[in-house]
Order: sequence, then structure tokens, then C-alpha cells
Amino acid sequence: MFGRIWQFVIKEFIQVWRDPRARFSLIVPPIIQVIIFGYAANFDVHNVPTAILDLDHSMESRELIARFAASGYFRVDDVLASRARIGQLIDRGRVALAIQILPGFAEDMRKRDDASVQVILDGTDSNTALIALGYVNQIAQQYQQDYRRDYLNRIAPLAARSAPQVMLEQRPWYNNNLEDRLFFVPGTLGSVMMVMVMTLTAFAIVREREIGTLEQIMVTPIRPLEFIVGKTIPYLIIALFELAVISVVGVLWFEVPMRGSALILVAGSLLFICGVLGVGLLISTVSNTQQQAMVVSFFFIQPAITLSGFGFPISSMPAALQWLTYLDPLRYYLVVLRGTFLKGIGMDRLWPQFAGMAAFAVVTLAVAAARFRKTLE
Amino acid sequence: MNSTPLDRDGAGAGEVSVAVQDLVKRFGAFTAVDHVTFSTRKGEVFGFLGPNGSGKSTTIRILCGLLRPTSGRAVVAGFDVASDPESVRRRIGYMSQKFSLYNDLTVLENLRFYGGLYGVTGARLSQRINWALRMAGLHGREDSRTATLSGGWKQRLALGCAVLHRPPIVFLDEPTSGVDPLSRRQFWELIQQMAEEGVTVFVSTHYMDEAEYCNRLALLMRGRLIALGAPSELKLGAVQGDLMLLETDSLQRAIEAVRKLPQVRDAAVFGNALHLVVAGAADANQPIRAALAAARAHVLRLEVIRPSLEDAFVALTASAAAAEPIR
Amino acid sequence: MSARRLFALARKEMIQIRRDPRSLIVVLLMPVMLMALMGYGIGLDQTDIPLCVYDREGSQLSQDLLKRFVSNRYFSLKLNAEDYRALADAIESGRCTVGIVIPLYFSKLLNAGQPASVQAVIDATDNNTANLIIGYTQAVVARFSADVQIDYQQRRGPALGAPVLNVEARTWFNEELESRNFIVPGVVALVMAVIGTFLTSLTIAREWERGTMEQLISTPVAPLEVIAGKLIPYYVIGMVDAGSCAAISAWWFEVPFRGSLLLLFGASSLFLIGVLLLGFMISALAKTQLAASQFALLTTFLPAFLLSGFAFPIDQMPAAVRMVTRVFPARYYVTTLKSIFLKGTGAAALAVPLAAMLIFAAIVGGAAVRAFRKTLD
Repeated sequence: MFGRIWQFVIKEFIQVWRDPRARFSLIVPPIIQVIIFGYAANFDVHNVPTAILDLDHSMESRELIARFAASGYFRVDDVLASRARIGQLIDRGRVALAIQILPGFAEDMRKRDDASVQVILDGTDSNTALIALGYVNQIAQQYQQDYRRDYLNRIAPLAARSAPQVMLEQRPWYNNNLEDRLFFVPGTLGSVMMVMVMTLTAFAIVREREIGTLEQIMVTPIRPLEFIVGKTIPYLIIALFELAVISVVGVLWFEVPMRGSALILVAGSLLFICGVLGVGLLISTVSNTQQQAMVVSFFFIQPAITLSGFGFPISSMPAALQWLTYLDPLRYYLVVLRGTFLKGIGMDRLWPQFAGMAAFAVVTLAVAAARFRKTLE
Repeated sequence: MNSTPLDRDGAGAGEVSVAVQDLVKRFGAFTAVDHVTFSTRKGEVFGFLGPNGSGKSTTIRILCGLLRPTSGRAVVAGFDVASDPESVRRRIGYMSQKFSLYNDLTVLENLRFYGGLYGVTGARLSQRINWALRMAGLHGREDSRTATLSGGWKQRLALGCAVLHRPPIVFLDEPTSGVDPLSRRQFWELIQQMAEEGVTVFVSTHYMDEAEYCNRLALLMRGRLIALGAPSELKLGAVQGDLMLLETDSLQRAIEAVRKLPQVRDAAVFGNALHLVVAGAADANQPIRAALAAARAHVLRLEVIRPSLEDAFVALTASAAAAEPIR
Repeated sequence: MSARRLFALARKEMIQIRRDPRSLIVVLLMPVMLMALMGYGIGLDQTDIPLCVYDREGSQLSQDLLKRFVSNRYFSLKLNAEDYRALADAIESGRCTVGIVIPLYFSKLLNAGQPASVQAVIDATDNNTANLIIGYTQAVVARFSADVQIDYQQRRGPALGAPVLNVEARTWFNEELESRNFIVPGVVALVMAVIGTFLTSLTIAREWERGTMEQLISTPVAPLEVIAGKLIPYYVIGMVDAGSCAAISAWWFEVPFRGSLLLLFGASSLFLIGVLLLGFMISALAKTQLAASQFALLTTFLPAFLLSGFAFPIDQMPAAVRMVTRVFPARYYVTTLKSIFLKGTGAAALAVPLAAMLIFAAIVGGAAVRAFRKTLD
């Protein structure tokens, strides 16, 4: 039994290693993907292109505008002279928001009336708009508080000293500088791993079927389980190699911290890879052509990434989709990746994820072995 | 089904290695194998002859356990292919129509791989690999990629891989399609050698000259077994009456003329001559010559000949087609 | 170019597509699936963020503040922690994303006119969510702080009065800042990218693998005819998919459609032709289905997903990656789609992206013909 599996492993390795294109595609594309997508996938909101229209021209308005410009969240490209330009700039997507201060702003502030700043947002990118609006609010709030303190200091220094105030202390754990990259790089690792492993294995069997070698193997005494194991082991080893390559890129290039145990990372990755291999081999056994295999695997990859919590929070999905995420091995794997890289948590917290991935792997590999019939029907 | 004397299930003396009883295989509404019955004995070269789509490959695939029979029974090396395909697989070698070794592995790697799958190990493996290399004439080319080999070599290597584990029964599905005549001859020498060593060789073909090499032949048409027997038996039994060769200067006029004669049962073009089936050569000679003269066709040669396998094939398929209109 | 030969090629392609009903179903169902998945699965506007509170004081005032969090639609209370450890545990295990801690002496300090602070512990692994949470908590706390101040001063005597600075936000194009309106139009681009490159590259690579391409070449067809004959059926399928995507967006997800249908049709055709040609080029170069599909995945689907501005803002990427986004037509198509849907932009304002797609199609088309010719020699 082991002899047969061993022969299979050797054969698969020779085939991968002998093809220079396969050798290349195992190393270069994953690295490029992790680097480019590591940069591309993020929801950071910094230097949002902003237009400013100051129709008040007062000290107060200039002070407020200076605070916007200095915050780092906004990049003031255009200081406008007329309101008409705002429409043009936003229509063309040149700026994402415009801040407009109307005449009488300073006077309202001085008179201790309600003053207002107007913000016009391009809602097309709702996420950027929402976060930018949050920043505008923060800056305006701060300005108002400072203004009020100055004012009280001037007219009633005693009262000013005893003004109650509630302050918010933020404690962002695991990601102190609130860098989006730290969140997305582990997610990118997981997604790239999945795409690689899926595309390799989805073709593994159906290709032999198309070439005709599968028929030759079927008449040998090999058992379905031996066949599946023989196909799994080489790709498992290749995938672990991939993991090492892209983890190194993540840690060295993106400076993602590695706070947890490497052992847990490897163990979790093994379970995850087995699950994905199971799906890939299952697809490969039921497909008649490579094209079918590719299309079906795409139908797995796409939902798996979207529902994994890769970039889109699971808690804001409708309940039905949230249930569906439990069938997604990437969902569990991303928790393990972020847990070991960013949080440094151990098995006591990660065991449910391990259980989920193990169940997934056992089921898919078993179904793949069961579906692999040694007949042509 | 015709009840010719050839239509019998006669394996004759010796150990039975493959026994097929009322085998049926349907794909949806299409019946690929239709109640086929035969058996083979040990050390026999058993040929499967028939036009494309007659059910040869399907039958072989059922015997190898690659397809499940719809009904009927097939026993190979003492095991039922439907209920115990694994035991069957340990005892057979199979080589399919398509060349199905790994093109990106070398000769040696392919041999080792299949040896591993068949559970041949250690000293026995290296001995068998040696044998296969010698047999295929590939000594010195062990490290060549299989893709670089020419057709005949590839095919002998495929045979080598299929019989590494010394199976008592070997199935070869059109092994020589697309191979040059010299390689084909060499390949058949290998088949004869194996048979002498007691291996049952099951081979399908549509080359008449190859069919002559078989100990026995099964003729398949549209899924049905229409004749079974040694090539000599088939040749004798297929043609009812005498077979005459007619060479003439005008095939077209001649065939029209002789077909009208009551003495001529069948007339078919063979190369640049006609083969005529008549009840008795002595009675038919004169009417034929007269009819040809009337049709202004000169007789260059008219004589009784021994039927070839091709004649038998044409006669048998024609009578089978006549007995049963095309479905 | 002969119309009859072209027709023969296109007809053959159509027959092959029809004969493979599994793939056809997949191709026609894909837009529906992707739309449902993305439309429902990608919710960036977070509500019901799992919240955990730990009130060390338990006073009227502290309960008052916590009530404001609980009744806020952005938060959903999951745990009332007994001690700090329980709160930390909830965050570490991922059960809650934010924890609010109210310190001892909170109301005492405020009643004495002193500043007091509230702690917000945030699981910042998902930085985007963390940013939103900070915005929301800050808004709640600032409002509370202002109320406490006014209350305090009213109790102490005549109001001194203080200005209140309001931010009046007006959002254009996507008034409710719904992320669905932002995400859904971009899905059209994803679907088209997949149909365009993925499927064509596979069907053509299959012809190379099976040798039917050589047969085709041996007939008197011109390279351009082969390309056109291959592409026309997929163009039709792609446009049907684009149409169904647009219909689902507008009627099911009720994304506003403000632009011109004709413009949508034109832009979609431009993009589709570009990616179809890319698919053709890939397969002429790759020749095996495995390589073609991996390459197609890498050059179309992933860029359409990550480098197009579909969900992740291009503005926020580093300059080098921004340059990379300019190479892929998906970026221009996503911009165009969002503008047509939400902004109702006309052709004149979209001249740049439209021209970019045209240039892409021309360059790739030229390269495809060349690659194809080369393989003939």
C-alpha cells in the first residue's frame, strides 16, 4: 500500500518539477500576488482628495481649514472661489468631498450661536465617504471644544477650570497604529494559498482523464483511497512550501508581526490545505474536462473569498449568508492566520477554528475518495 | 442470430481464463454490447474483430472492470468483474487504444511508476524492468523522455508497463493503430511469445492480416457476436458455396451483369477484381462468361479461389446486416 | 474577411457551447450568483457591531452613557461584563469587537466639574471596522459630554452660552451611503472579466491541446477570422450576462440607474472586447489549459477584484501599485460603471476611461493577432 502511494508521490513531483513553467508558476506569481494585493487590498482612508470653499475668509474659518489640512486624512487639492466648481470636481471624481464654509461662520461662533460647516460627499465610494465624514466630525468637534475652552478662559477662567468633560480613550488592540495592511496581509496570504492549491489540484485528476493515463491507472490494483492520498501528499508539500514563501514575504516585506507560535500556524495551514485539496480533488474527480474543473473551482473560490471575512465583515452579512460562512474553510483559516500573526493567541482560543477546518478536510477528502470510482461511468 | 456452425462457444480443451455469458451493456437507449457469450482458454491469442463502434472496446473495458455490465456475467481469471474488479485487476494487464503513458516522464520512470502501482518491488522489479527494456528494444534509452520516442517504441513500452507484473491475461485494445507495418510485425511477435509462455492475450483489431495471427477470432457487429472460431474455420464456414475470382477490363459493366444471374449469390469488388460467391463453380462458369460477353466485358481471368479472412468478414457482416435491418 | 467563413466558425462555436449544457448553465447563472453573493455579502456599512460593556461604577450617569450605546443602531450589546478579564476575554476570542469600560469615580469626577474618561477597547485586527467604531463611539461620547456640560452649567447658574459647531453633511449620488450601491455596479465588471478571459482562454487552449486548431489553420481562414469567429459567440454571452447583471442591480438591489443605457452598452462592449482579446492572446501563448487558466485568473479576475477600485479605493494604494492599476482595463470599466449608475455621467465626462479601454483593446488585439500568427510558423 505504501509502495503504491510512494510511487505516486514520486511521479507527481517529477511531473511538477520537470515542467519549467510549473516550476516558475509555483514561486513567482504567489510572491507578486502577495505583494501587489497586499498593497491593493485595504480600506485605509488617508489623503482623501478634498476641495475647500471658504466664503467667510475669517480667522476662524482659516483656522478650521488648517486643522483639516494638517490632519493627514485630507489632501486639499483645490481651494475654490465659487460653488459651481464643486459640482464639476465631484462629478468627475476629482475630489471625494468638498468642505464649504459659508459667510457668517465666524460671526456665529463669536455670537455663540449654532454655526455650521457644510460637507458635500461623493457617496459613490460609500466606505471612504463614511470614514471621511467621521474624520470631519472629529475635527469639527475638537475645534468646537477648543474654541469653547478659549472663550471660557477669556471670560470666566474659574468656571473654565471646572468644566466637566468626558474623554474617550481609544485602545485599539493588536493593531496599535490602525494600519489596514496588518489586517489584509494575512488575509491575502490565505486567499493566495487557496487559489494556488485549488487551481493545482482541480486539474490533477481531470488532466489525466483527458490525456488517457487515468484509464491505465484504473486497471491497476490501486485503491481509491491510495490514489487520493498519492495525489494529496505532493500538493500538500508544495502548498507548505508556498506557505513558507509567502509568509516570509509578509513578515519581511510588509513587516507583519509574528506574535504567535509558528507551530500553530503550520498545523492550522496543514488542516486548511487538506480541506482545499479535498475540494480540488473532488472537483477533479467529477469533472470531465479541464474547462469544467476550472469553472467549478472558480465557483468555489469566489464565494469562499467573499464570505471568509477577508475584507468584508461577516457580522454585517444577512443571517443566511452568515450561516453559509461556516462552510467556508477560509473563514476559519483567516482567524488562525490573524490570530497567530497579529494577536499571538494560542490553541485555547483557536481550537474551534481547528475543529472547523478538520471537519471540513475529513469530509471533503472522504467524499473525494468515495466519488473516485475506478470505472469510466 | 445465424446458426452457422461457427456460432458456438467452443473454448475447446485447456483451462478457461475468460468466460463471458450473455453480456449486455447499454448506454441509455444505445446497446453497445448485446448478449455476447464466449470463453477463452489459457495461452490463447483471442482476437476481437469488427468495424469501428461494434462494441470491441466496450467489451474489453467491461472485462477490465472499467465499465459495469448492464446484465450478464463476465469471469476473468476466476473472478467476477462486476462483484470483484480488484481481484481481476491484479491478474490482468491492459493497454488502451490511446497511448497512455506519461509523456513527461522518462522510460525508466514510467516503468518504475507502473511497477509500483502493480506492487512489483525490489529485485523482481529491476529484473522485470530489464526484461521490458529488452523486449521494447529501449536499452540505452532509459532516460529519454517518453514524448521523444516514436510510435512503435512507445507502444512496446506501453505493453512493457502493462505486463510488468506478469499477468496471466492481457487485454490489448487496438494496440497497433497508427504504427508502421514493421513495428506492427515486431509487436505481434511479442504477442506470440507471451502466448507461448501461457499468457492469454486478448486483442482487438481491424487489420485483417493481424487477425490471421490469432488462434481464435470473435467477430462483432453492432454489439452482437456474429461469428466465433479459428480464422481457418471462419474462412471455410462463412462462404456458402464456392468463391470465384473474376478479372475483367470493365468492373462496372461486369458487376451489373453478374448480379443479375441467379447463380451468383453475391458479388463484391476486391482491389481490381471481383469476388463472386456461387453455389457451385462448375455450374456457374458458363452463365457468367455468357453474361459478361453480352455486357461487352472481357474476361481476363475467372477461377475458383480459397476465401480469405476478408471475404469471410464481408460475407458474415453482409448476412448479419441482411438478417437484421439497421436499428 | 469572408462573412461565410466567419459565420461557419461562429456557428461551430455556438454548437459547441450548446452541446456543453453544464458550462452554459454555469455561464448564465454566474451573474446571478456573483450578484447575490456580492450584493448581500459585502456590507461595509456596519450595524450591530458586537459590544461588551464593563461598568465599574454603576452610577446613574454611567448607566446613562451605556444606555446611549445600547440604543444606538450601530451597536448590539452581547455581554455585560463582571470584570475586566471577562471583557478582555470576549474581545480576544472575537465574540465582541468593542468593549466600553467606565472607570470608578466616573460620576464623582464629572459632578465635581472634572474631566473623566471612558475607555474603548477595540479589536483592531480589522482596521476598517475599527475606524468606523472609533467614529461611532466618539460621536456618542461627544454628544454625552456636551449634554453633561450643559447640565452642569445650568445647575451652577446662568448659562454662559457656548457655540455648537454642527457638521451638515450632504451626500451626492449615494445619499444613504449604502455600500451596496457602491459594490453592486462593480460586480458587472467582475462577471465580464471572468467570462471574457477565463472562458475564451480555456476554449482556445483546448483547441490547441486537441489539435483541432491545427486543422482550422490548415483551412483558408485568416487569423482575424479565427479570432472574430471565436469571439462573437462569447461576446453575445458576455453581453447577455452584462444585461442580466444590470437588471439585477437596478431592480433587485434597487441601485439607482441614472445614466444612459446606450452608454452602458457601449462601454461594456469596449471592455468585453478587450478582455476577450486578452483571453485569446493568453491561450495562443500558453497552449495548455492549466497554464492558460492560471494566467487568466492572474491577469483578469484578481485585478478586477482588487485593482479596479471595485471595493478598495485606488487613491489609497502606493504610487507603484496605482501605476499597475492603470494597465488593467477593469479600473476604467469600474469607474465608468459607477459613474453611469450613480452619477448619470455622460460620454463626454467619461472620455478618458473610454479611450483607455479602446487603447487596451487595440493593443491587446494587435498582440493577439501577432501571437496567433507566430504560432502558425
